[in-house]
Amino acid sequence: MRLLTHNFLKSNVKGTENGYPLNIEVTTINCEESPLDKLFLLNLLPKVNYPALRTAVQQISQHCVPPLPEIPEQLDVSDKESNQNLDHETLKNLHRVLFDVYLIEGWLVCPDTGRKFPVKEGIPNMILHEDEI
Amino acid sequence: MSNANSSESYLLLVEFVHKHLDFHDAELQSILDMHGIVVGTDCHFLPLPNSDTDTTADGDRGSFQNHSTTSKSKSNSNKRPFRILSFAWKSIGSKYAVCDEDPDSDAASPTRNGGSNDTVNLITALARCTLVRSVMELWGAGPSIDDCATSIRMGSSLRRHREGRHLRRRNIGNTKQNDSTPIKPYPERTWKITIHTLGSTYTRQEQNEMRSKFSFLQFPGPVQMKHPDDEYLFIREVELDAMGGAVYPRHCKGDDGKTKKELIPENDARPPLACYFGRVLGNGTLGRNWRGSNRLFRYSLKKRTYLGPTSMDSELSLIMTNLAQVRKGSFAFDPFVGTGSILLAAALRGARAFGTDIDLRVLRGRSSTENIVSNFKQYDLPPPELVRSDNSIYQRHFRKHLPLFDAIVTDPPYGIRAGARKSGSRRGDGEARPIAEEFRYDHVAQTRPYAVSDVMADLLNVAAMTLVMGGRLTYVIPSMLDFDAEEDLPRHDCLRVVSVCYQPLQTELGRRTVTMEKVKDYDERRREEYLEGTWVNGPQSAEKVANIRERLMEAARKKPGYEEKAAWRKQKRKETKEAKKRAKLEGVGRVAVDSECRHANDDDGRD
Repeated sequence: MRLLTHNFLKSNVKGTENGYPLNIEVTTINCEESPLDKLFLLNLLPKVNYPALRTAVQQISQHCVPPLPEIPEQLDVSDKESNQNLDHETLKNLHRVLFDVYLIEGWLVCPDTGRKFPVKEGIPNMILHEDEI
Repeated sequence: MSNANSSESYLLLVEFVHKHLDFHDAELQSILDMHGIVVGTDCHFLPLPNSDTDTTADGDRGSFQNHSTTSKSKSNSNKRPFRILSFAWKSIGSKYAVCDEDPDSDAASPTRNGGSNDTVNLITALARCTLVRSVMELWGAGPSIDDCATSIRMGSSLRRHREGRHLRRRNIGNTKQNDSTPIKPYPERTWKITIHTLGSTYTRQEQNEMRSKFSFLQFPGPVQMKHPDDEYLFIREVELDAMGGAVYPRHCKGDDGKTKKELIPENDARPPLACYFGRVLGNGTLGRNWRGSNRLFRYSLKKRTYLGPTSMDSELSLIMTNLAQVRKGSFAFDPFVGTGSILLAAALRGARAFGTDIDLRVLRGRSSTENIVSNFKQYDLPPPELVRSDNSIYQRHFRKHLPLFDAIVTDPPYGIRAGARKSGSRRGDGEARPIAEEFRYDHVAQTRPYAVSDVMADLLNVAAMTLVMGGRLTYVIPSMLDFDAEEDLPRHDCLRVVSVCYQPLQTELGRRTVTMEKVKDYDERRREEYLEGTWVNGPQSAEKVANIRERLMEAARKKPGYEEKAAWRKQKRKETKEAKKRAKLEGVGRVAVDSECRHANDDDGRD
């Protein structure tokens, strides 16, 4: 599971309204570099919740070897114009954290209820048990 | 070609393969649209010679909505496999290119938001159509070979070709608009004329007689059979039947099917439907039979490591990506990803892939080397994003987000080979038994049946919610004979139907590939209203889709010989089971009777 996906997932436990963003507990993590996909990245950025991305990066960074690059503390990604003007280094780093990091084994934890959603073999399992719907 | 303003127009003849007949126009239209080529403005469809029986050449009317009911689908077999596209001559070599380029490069498809200043290479664009067999620059056409030759004489194609201005390749990155790489000068160009007679064979002598009709063209260069600079093509079209053979075959089969066939004089004397002459495009890179070089074969299911009974055949998957206009940089979503065949096709078009499914086993695959991700690795593609989630509650799994996907391409579970499931208790009363804490870690969540009518309603609503404006949803829906595409297709206020393509599977059963486009913003407050408005005829239409499995079984039971067949199948299953048992006891290991793969071949669709 990439951080790209994590940015959109939330907890669907009955009754919770504040199930986003999910906290990440890392068991196994992988990094695989890929070339910068500028076209796709610029298209995607306005849809990303940037604070959630930064929090996610902080939560997993210690487990990554080599450590994840620094991304700006604050960024208004909704403006397409200013996104285009971001420098190459920042774009590369954003690409890296969004696309190149894979959580293989771990947990996504609901910030409200504490319910843990398992991530196994890179696939998060968001299905609630029948008594939680 | 009496109505073609030949000195002003540049004509292309597109030839389709004889497969997926109902998809030809929809796919072509979709690809043209994707490259910003507006039918009626940038190009026009011209009627074929002898086209009073052909209802599809609509001239300027670019609408190719195929609302095929079964009666129409029968007449599809008489649809002719050619289309004539007419472009303004001055746009060739400037706005549009027709030179050979690297087949892997994009045809500079314009972005959705604005026009592109890049030249659109028509060859690369049309090469994307899975169902196009070849494209040629049409020099002349007519109801007979002589008419065809006359129309060449009356036109200016030869003169233009001699000048060759439109053939020059534009230098990429060159600031000067007029600069271009020169091509081989006309007097030196090697050439040959290929004779293509639909549904009939002619002797070499007969073919040479046809060639001689065009000797007036007097090509100066040498004839070269292999890879000439210019391959000219003479096509003799006759009426074809549903199987792609001639309705009035020229020869009858010999007694043993092998010996020399006898000529049928009445058929032989019949005039052709049309004759075309032109220059094959894409010759250098694609060859005349584009389908072979369309690299389809590489993607054939036969070579894929992870398959299942529900894997979509690669050809239909690729066609679906064309109907959905998936391109490089697209974000493609399959909410019922299964074994990932369709998502793979989207990724092959350059899209980023996102797939969800409620079935964890299918997501995980059979082993670490046989799963969706390994299929992607097999083709050197970046791995897709996969989530186990329930599409019926999409909005509870994913935060509210801006429209995310450019294309949703999927084959929803309609309960024939795989039942649809959603989260929740199986118990009829809806009350779930609470799970004791100590068991929760290992508990496998129950799922319950998910009515097909709800599957479709939820799918359309998720599409309306998550597609960007102008984004497309392409899905497959099975339908039996009584399905009326007008009335029975699911609907959504935010989506409009672009095309419906029918594919017959068995006598009673067919499937429709439906493409919809998002035309209106989604309003969350209207959710209930949207869902309730899915089925126009209410429960009736939903029923038609929902009960297909039962109705198929009913129909099968009524057929003669059913009892024997069922008994035979039962016996076979028993034998296989016992063989497996024996093998296990003998420690041979897993018997490789993988019945799951039995159905997965390129002509998939049979149950």
